[in-house]
Amino acid sequence: MQHADWGTIYPYLVWALTAIIGLGIVLASVGKRLHIRRLPAIDAIEEAVGRATEMGRPMMFVPGLAGVDVPTFQAIAIAGHVARLAARYRSRIILPVTDTVILTMAEQVLREAYAEGGAPDAFNPEDIRFLSGDQFAFASGVVGLMNRERVAANFFFGSFAAESLILAETGQALGAIQIAGTPSTLQIPFFIAACDFTVIGEEYYAVTAYLTREPILLGSVWGQDVCRILLASLIFATTVAQKFLPPIVLKFLGI
Amino acid sequence: MFAPLQNPTINFILVAVALIISVVILIALNSSPPYVRRWVIAGVTFLVGLYVPLEFYIPRHNFLTVWRDPLSDLVRVLAGFTIGLGIVNLVIVHGRHVLQRTANLPFSLAFFVGFISMAFVGFLHRYKPELWAQKPSEGELAFWSAAYKVFFEGLLLPLTSTVFSLLAFFIVSAAYRAFRIRTLEAGLLMAAAIIVMLANVPVGTWLTSWLPQEGWLKWLRLENASLWLTTQINAPTMRGILFGAAVGGLGAALRILLSLERSFAFGGQG
Repeated sequence: MQHADWGTIYPYLVWALTAIIGLGIVLASVGKRLHIRRLPAIDAIEEAVGRATEMGRPMMFVPGLAGVDVPTFQAIAIAGHVARLAARYRSRIILPVTDTVILTMAEQVLREAYAEGGAPDAFNPEDIRFLSGDQFAFASGVVGLMNRERVAANFFFGSFAAESLILAETGQALGAIQIAGTPSTLQIPFFIAACDFTVIGEEYYAVTAYLTREPILLGSVWGQDVCRILLASLIFATTVAQKFLPPIVLKFLGI
Repeated sequence: MFAPLQNPTINFILVAVALIISVVILIALNSSPPYVRRWVIAGVTFLVGLYVPLEFYIPRHNFLTVWRDPLSDLVRVLAGFTIGLGIVNLVIVHGRHVLQRTANLPFSLAFFVGFISMAFVGFLHRYKPELWAQKPSEGELAFWSAAYKVFFEGLLLPLTSTVFSLLAFFIVSAAYRAFRIRTLEAGLLMAAAIIVMLANVPVGTWLTSWLPQEGWLKWLRLENASLWLTTQINAPTMRGILFGAAVGGLGAALRILLSLERSFAFGGQG
C-alpha cells in the first residue's frame, strides 16, 4: 500500500497549497473583494445558448470520457450553469455520458438547474443519455446524435482522449458554435484547431467561479493563483540554487 | 478486512438485510426535506473525501488503511448498480423510437439487435459454451465461445478501429484550418509543424544531411531543430499548463469536498 513519503518536500507542499487555497476561501467569505480576469471563452457560453435558441435547435454538452474524477465533477458543475442559462430560454441540452455513475449525477444536476432556471418542465430526462463505456463506440454515438439532432452549439468540457477531434470536427462541419475546455494537455491543440473558443489548463477550473461570481469560489481561484506564483518561484529558486545546496536538502527537494 | 463468507444461507441473509437497509435509506432520503438531503450528501462527501487524503498522508499502515479495500469494494458495488440504470436509460430511449416508429427507428433496432445478441452470446460463452452444440474436438473452441470471438474480435474490434481511423481524415481537415497563415502565431505554428513533420520522415533528415554534425550549424539540421522544438519549447509549455491544471484540480477538489460548488448542492438550495 502506498503512503506519502514525509522525507521529501511533496506532502508538505500539497498541504501548504491546500492551506493557501483554503485561506483564499476564508478571505473571500469575510468580504475581501477579489478580481478574476476576463475569459472570452466563458463569455461566449451565453452567446452560444442564445444562438441555439434563435435557431430552434438543441445544444450538446459532452462531459468527457472519464468516470468519477475532479475534471468530470467540474464538467458537470459547468453543465449545471449552462443548463440554468438554457432553462431561461427553454432550450434543450443533450448530455451524452460514457459512465453510468455520471449519468445519475448529471440527470440530478440538470433537473435542478432547469428548476432553478424557472423551467422544470423543459427538462427531459431522456436527453441525458448513456451511450457506451467504450471510447470509440461513445464517439460514434455522439457523432450520430450531433448529426441527427442538428445541434447548434457544442460544449466539450472534461477529460478527453483521441475522440476529441472526431467530436469537434463533426461539430465544425455542422456549423455549430463550439466551446471546449479540458485539462487533458494533449487534446488542447485539437480543440483549439476545431472549436471557436477553448479554455486551457487552469482556466478550466475557474469556469464556475467566473460564471457565478460567487465570492467563495473566486477566493479559491485567487488561492490557486497564489499557489502558482509560489510554485513558479520555488522552481526558479531551486534551479538557480541547486549547485550550492547540500545533498540532504537536494534529496528533500527530490532533485 | 471482510473475508468472503462460505455459508450460502448467511450470505443470502446478509444480502437481503443490505438490500432492505438500502431501500430504507433511499425512502428516507426521498421523503426528507431538501435541506436535510443536502446536508446528508454534503456530510458523506466530506467524510469520504477526507478519508482518502488522510489515509495516504498518515505514514505507513495506519488505522484507516484497513478500510481501504472495503471502501473501494463499496464504490464498485455502487457503480455496479448504476450500470443497470444505464441499461434502463438505453432501453427507454430506444424503446420509444421503436414504439413510436420515429425516423430513428433503424438505429434503435440496430441497438436492440446488437445489445440482445451480444448479451446472449456473452452469457452462453461464460456459463454454457457447449449448449445446443456438439462437443468440440481437442484444440477447438466450444460453439458459443467461437461465436463470442466472432462478435467481439470479428465485429466490435473492427468497428472500433474504423472509428479510430477516421481520426486521420479529421486531423487533415483540422490541420488545414490551423495552418492557414493569417497571423504571426499561425505562421510560427506552420513553421514549427513543417520542421517537426519533415524531421520524422527519412527525406526530411536527408534534406539537411549535408550540414556538419558539430558546431553551431548542427542546429540547422532538421532532426536537431525538431528535437530542440519538442524538448525545449513544447515540453516546458505542456508542463506549465499541466502545473496550472494540477493546482486548479486541487482547488476544485477542495470546493467539491467542502460542497462549495453550487451545482452539487443536490436537493435544492434550502
